[in-house]
Amino acid sequence: MKNALNAVGKYFKDFGTALAKGDIGVKLSAVLMGAGYFARKQVINGIIMCLVEVLFAVLCIGYAAPNLAKFGTLGTVQFEQVFDPLTMTSTVNDYDNSFLILLNSIISLFIIFVFILFYISNMKAVYRLQLKKENGEHINTFPEDLRMMFNEKFHITLLTLPAIGIIIMNILPILVFAVAFTNYDQQHMPPNALFTWVGWTNFKNLFTSSVTVTFGYSFKKVLVWTLEWAVFATFTTYIGGILMAKFINDKRTKLPKLWRTLFIIAIAVPQFVTLLLVRSFFADNGIVNTFCNSIGFTGFLKNIGLVPSNLSYIPFLTNPGWAKVMIILINIWIGIPYQMLVATGVLMNIPEDQIESARIDGANPLQIFIKITMPYVLFVTGPSLITDFVKNINNFNVIYLLTQDVFVTSDQLLANSNAKEIDLLVTWLFRLTNEYYNYKMASVIGIIVFIICAAFTLVTFTRTIKGDKEEEFQ
Amino acid sequence: MKKTIKFVIRHLVLLFLSIVWLIPILWLFVTSFSGYKGINTSHFFPETWTLDNYAQLFLRSDSIVQYPRWFWNTFVIASFSCLISTILVLMVAYTMSKLRFTGRKGLMSFAIILNMFPGVLSMIAIYFILKTMGLTNSHLGMIIVYSAGAGLGYLICKGFMDTISISLSEAARLEGASEAKIFWSVIIPLSKPIIVYTVINAFLAPWADFVFAKLMLNSGVATDWTVAIGLFNMLGKSMINKYFSVFCAGGVIIAIPISALFVIMQKFYVEGITGGSVKG
Repeated sequence: MKNALNAVGKYFKDFGTALAKGDIGVKLSAVLMGAGYFARKQVINGIIMCLVEVLFAVLCIGYAAPNLAKFGTLGTVQFEQVFDPLTMTSTVNDYDNSFLILLNSIISLFIIFVFILFYISNMKAVYRLQLKKENGEHINTFPEDLRMMFNEKFHITLLTLPAIGIIIMNILPILVFAVAFTNYDQQHMPPNALFTWVGWTNFKNLFTSSVTVTFGYSFKKVLVWTLEWAVFATFTTYIGGILMAKFINDKRTKLPKLWRTLFIIAIAVPQFVTLLLVRSFFADNGIVNTFCNSIGFTGFLKNIGLVPSNLSYIPFLTNPGWAKVMIILINIWIGIPYQMLVATGVLMNIPEDQIESARIDGANPLQIFIKITMPYVLFVTGPSLITDFVKNINNFNVIYLLTQDVFVTSDQLLANSNAKEIDLLVTWLFRLTNEYYNYKMASVIGIIVFIICAAFTLVTFTRTIKGDKEEEFQ
Repeated sequence: MKKTIKFVIRHLVLLFLSIVWLIPILWLFVTSFSGYKGINTSHFFPETWTLDNYAQLFLRSDSIVQYPRWFWNTFVIASFSCLISTILVLMVAYTMSKLRFTGRKGLMSFAIILNMFPGVLSMIAIYFILKTMGLTNSHLGMIIVYSAGAGLGYLICKGFMDTISISLSEAARLEGASEAKIFWSVIIPLSKPIIVYTVINAFLAPWADFVFAKLMLNSGVATDWTVAIGLFNMLGKSMINKYFSVFCAGGVIIAIPISALFVIMQKFYVEGITGGSVKG
């Protein structure tokens, strides 16, 4: 943390030095970004920088300014439609679309932020050039600069493209979660209505339980189940996958490829097909129930009290308790082959020499597994274990496909806030947006999910990766 | 004797497990030949057998079923996004694993935190962003959705590259190879198993996804859809009793490219690669 602050401090200090001690070329760069390069005869670099600056200016005037002007209110002109009976056409006024204003403003702010960073780096680069010149060092020509991009600066070349993708797909959408601070819901839907900023009201609602607002009650229930689910789903499939991989790859197992392929078939069919299929399989009047009924299993479960006596079927996916257990079991069915694949790949790559020397030293198979195999597997798959946990917190497919249209909650308090017992935070959020257009509450939940996931990752991540463990196996 | 019993038990356990894993798939398969179009709730195997469901998929396209078209759409989207995602993942994984530069740790932590943000949540925002770019209801838009953010999923791949001995790239560097050359001719060939893993994962995603597809391809025109939405649509409340067996046939067909791909690629999983190249 301290290091990070220091680094930021240095970043701005260097900028200050460049501005204060730079010669005329560097100082001119503060206005015309290419100037410093022209002064060192790097004409192509100079032209590129000037073009970037011009492009930014055009964007500011044509795009950022008109949107940012309305950012404070998110628009004031209500949508109006006037129907003209003479020409039989309707005319729409020049209305404000609150959502587009929000989105465009966020994009503008982001571009401005990136440009400022770019601008500061440019000043520093230009100043470095000046120092080089003063010390009589060689100043790169443009082709030499290009070559740098494949050697010392290869990381920049490699990361640029992925970074652009990530900005569009991950960073901008996260910023749109500013909706959590507005009243964007079914009553305030653009383009017909405007929405505006409301501060922390939605967050307060999420933690209150009253007669009319039951979000607090639902949130607690959904959160607890989300965490329970994530723990069970992650560890059952992870351990199951490693054990199965060990079991199949064991020397005593005949035809390992055949067995592996059999399990792979189960995941070759896309999840939504298998899940919808399994849902019909375990339906209240489905084939499993017919079977259980005919062999008297349903009656047995009734006798020991696991099935309510007023039902003539096993409520696999319709009773909260049963549904939770079934969801975890079905997830094991789906998850283990995937984990087995990963574990197989990893097990194959264990350094043989380590195992061999351990064997020569007289270690038994169990000791080898605990002391060598497991640490190695944990090291390679450790990060993926964390990602799996977080993925499970957000495991939309399994829950949604298995229970959508099938599971109906009988808890009125949950129903009031559009939640169900088996909902994860994400499925609840999805239902809020997709069926009830309650974007404001959905965004609040989204932010909470994000905080939970980030917290889990940071704690575990720093523990597994920290230190120089990276080099241990290299 | 004791060994034989253990041997038999081991394989019986495997047999039992594979039956558990394959029963729903078997049901999918047999139901795809069912003469009855709705869900059969009393018998596992269909009472009448027919190929009509497949014929309906491929030969009798109507406003609900446009299977060949969906298959082609999904194939195009999956191929391109698989290619792009794999490249992006390799670029990021290599940078984070083998190159050392200031801010590397910071970037890694940042990427991991960012990856925590569930795709489902940002869906709506992505939809609006693509809509302003005019990319909804287009293949290009779908390819962007599936592959643009792929760089964030570099962790597993980096974990693998971390196990490739650094002495290999050092040797190459001593011989005067550029960083780009080391990436391309030393690390990439050694990373085959994890590339296979990445390729399979990336190719599977568009076949399996329906939430994003449903949101992005919302024109309601069946010819625009991917297999996932098309099949999902068949299980709607008003359709399920007329299309359940057709749905099963469709499920069987889309499993084919994916299993085929896996069989081709499977051998890479089984080769211990680092074991071979660092020795001596």
